[in-house]
Amino acid sequence: MADPIDKARDEFLSEAQEIVETLSRNLLDLDTSVRAGSADPALVNEAFRAVHTLKGLAGLFGAGRLGHLSHRLEDLLDDLRLGRMVLAPEVLDVLFSAVDAYARLLAMARQGSDEAIPAVEDLLARLDSLAQHAPGKSSPNSDYDLDPGLLAVLTEYEEHRLRANLEQKLGLYRLRVEFDLATIDKALEDLKERAKRHGEIITYLPAGEATSPDAIELDLLMASRDDLATLIGSLGADNVVIEELPRRRSVASMTPKGPAGVVAQQQGVESAVPVRAGDAGLDQGPSLRSLTQTVRVDIRKLDNLMNVVGELAIVRGTLARLAERLRAEGERRVAADLLRLHRSFDRRLAEMQAGILEVRMVPLGQVFERLARVVRQIGREMEKDIRLVITGAETEIDKLIVEELSDPLMHMIRNAIDHGIEAAARRLEVGKPIAGTIALNAYQKGNHVMIEVEDDGRGIDGDAVVDKAVRLGKISAEDAKELGREEVLALVFLPGLSTRGTVDDVSGRGVGMDIVKTNIGRLGGIIDVQSESGIGTKMTITLPITLAIVSALMVDVAGHTFAIPLSTVSEALSLDAGGTRLLDGREVITLRGTTLPLCRLERVLKLTRPAGQPAVHRSYVVVVSLGNRRLGLVLDHLVGQQDIVIKPLGRSLASVRGFAGATELGDQRVGLVIDAAAIVDEVLTHTDHREAPPVHG
Amino acid sequence: MADLVRTGPERLARRGASRGPVREFLTFALGPDLFGVELARIKEILIPPPITGVPRAPADVLGVCSVRGLLVTVVDLKARLRLADRARSRRSRILLAIAPDGEAVGLVVDEVRQVVRLTEEDMELASAGLGGEVSEFVLGVGRPQGDFIVLLDLGAVVAN
Repeated sequence: MADPIDKARDEFLSEAQEIVETLSRNLLDLDTSVRAGSADPALVNEAFRAVHTLKGLAGLFGAGRLGHLSHRLEDLLDDLRLGRMVLAPEVLDVLFSAVDAYARLLAMARQGSDEAIPAVEDLLARLDSLAQHAPGKSSPNSDYDLDPGLLAVLTEYEEHRLRANLEQKLGLYRLRVEFDLATIDKALEDLKERAKRHGEIITYLPAGEATSPDAIELDLLMASRDDLATLIGSLGADNVVIEELPRRRSVASMTPKGPAGVVAQQQGVESAVPVRAGDAGLDQGPSLRSLTQTVRVDIRKLDNLMNVVGELAIVRGTLARLAERLRAEGERRVAADLLRLHRSFDRRLAEMQAGILEVRMVPLGQVFERLARVVRQIGREMEKDIRLVITGAETEIDKLIVEELSDPLMHMIRNAIDHGIEAAARRLEVGKPIAGTIALNAYQKGNHVMIEVEDDGRGIDGDAVVDKAVRLGKISAEDAKELGREEVLALVFLPGLSTRGTVDDVSGRGVGMDIVKTNIGRLGGIIDVQSESGIGTKMTITLPITLAIVSALMVDVAGHTFAIPLSTVSEALSLDAGGTRLLDGREVITLRGTTLPLCRLERVLKLTRPAGQPAVHRSYVVVVSLGNRRLGLVLDHLVGQQDIVIKPLGRSLASVRGFAGATELGDQRVGLVIDAAAIVDEVLTHTDHREAPPVHG
Repeated sequence: MADLVRTGPERLARRGASRGPVREFLTFALGPDLFGVELARIKEILIPPPITGVPRAPADVLGVCSVRGLLVTVVDLKARLRLADRARSRRSRILLAIAPDGEAVGLVVDEVRQVVRLTEEDMELASAGLGGEVSEFVLGVGRPQGDFIVLLDLGAVVAN
């Protein structure tokens, strides 16, 4: 139902986003290469191409500010790649802030706004001042607006030759030649040989439009001092179409097409596809053929597919029941056939489900790259030398989770640099290398992905944390004395517990870790902290691999079936009537020496027990834990474990707390999914003013 | 649904005479009264599937159900309209509509009757001053051939 214009805009934005991410990655590599001594020209070229593509995109979509910025950056990068400017760290800083500027511009564009952004204006001013230091501009390459797709496939040598030829102000021509596969080697050499008299063949690419299976078409890019007519006279043949590449025109004149007579001049400005005289009308304008094999898919479409899989699973169940019934009725042969069918269906369905899940998966590297930029920036701001070591960037996780991860991880890294890594002098004093190390590790562990943020800084000062918690009234001084190291560390997740006294730009606003924990919790994940004084701190995030399918514990309470996501369940035990005691007006049990508060779901959800279903004598306790808060949910029966697809409740139920959504149970019924975080919050927060720890254990 | 549309000769004659735009309404019973909603807004008429109650939900929400994978919020239309009669009918059906925000909402009605085509002459719109106290859900009334149909603004009913 999406408006086609909206859709095109969405695609533009996500493509632009991808390019900006590539640019960012590219700049980081460039930063590394500059530090190692010299800027890698290939990387500069890549950055140039990215910006160039962005400029083109912005032009197509009328994104003026984006286009303007890209244009200016393109100039700068052009100066850099042609050696007219040295890639100094200040220049890199400007380029890095361009990535941020792009992010802001894209965010604005997404909201449909076109206001001036101070940060972008500031950047443009910095670009101005850089440009003044650069010598005059006459880029040897500026006469041609070459297809970035083409530039991307040139080898370094070919690119060098192209540039050398352009510097001599030679013209560029494209030859489309159809070769017989049997004789292509010799024919190509012959053609090259003949072309030498006029210039040089820089590169050739398959055009993929041959007329017969025994033939192949190649596009040859040629530089020559001779004009088109001379070339056609010398090289032209039935199987050779020669076309002059048009020199660069201004961006504004990109759309209109000239009358038929000049078509030959105008075609294929950015295209690698020359047009035969006969079908000039068919293929005008820039080629939209993409060189990549990937497609971009709205994640909601995948959700829909996943729903279909969910329904097929229900069909599968029906099929099995049908087979059972046939067997019971004596139709053994049909039943056996049906069962075979069912098994085959089952396998295919599992493959399909795995396939869809796989499509949703993206490598964590995406978010890690953004973080690498943050590390560099904060490191420079704080004048701390930071070495970022990333492992497991290829670890894959659900796209939706990745999107939500960057903010929490950014907070954690800011904290690590600000509070963790000591100043250089201090590091020298204690015999650590001056450069602080932050390790970002990711790996898969069963159905979970673990992400660790580790620093080799001063570690968390437990006493300071406890002092502050007591001062803020989060815990009493008596309780504080009894805390173990683990419980002390868990205090950093309390609201307002920033160990810095002053508020500064980087962190220390006191909104750090509790928000991080909430956000991670929202994704069904948990966060743990380990820290040793003087040695460092390690935060570990455990996340489910996907949000699309969740393993859940199915339970019955008062005749209602609920699903509790297993990611929040730490254990389940049986409970005899009368096995509880009251503590501060709350039902609790003692579990392995610690006190566990209980919550009767029947009561807290005000469930009505169907008539004729008496309360059970023996109930069960499912212990849900969120970070350091634990709660025992009391219920009637454990039904079993099931993989479920959670569907959000509609808007009319938005005010209802305690449920994360609903899921199909098969047999047409729907079950509600318990939002353990909300229940824990509600039960423990509303009656417990200590808010969080110490819940011992 | 063709059998539900009554196209008697007198009706066609009336239509020819008035020449005004014609709107199609699906009529249904809530207790003793007849109501109508614009037909185009109803995606489907369902025989009620098992409905799962949602604890803590607003009183007029009966719960949720699944229609071929689509999660539907089931609303007791009588309760939403604050009608006194709350009896359940064996002929009750669920009218499936999509709210402006995309939520699938099922409205429980006692019995689905027919589709009527109303010209402007057949309708008195609330906006034109219907008199008396009119709920925010009521679009107006329709009076085709002596019947009295309360026309509901489906958008307002499901928006909530």
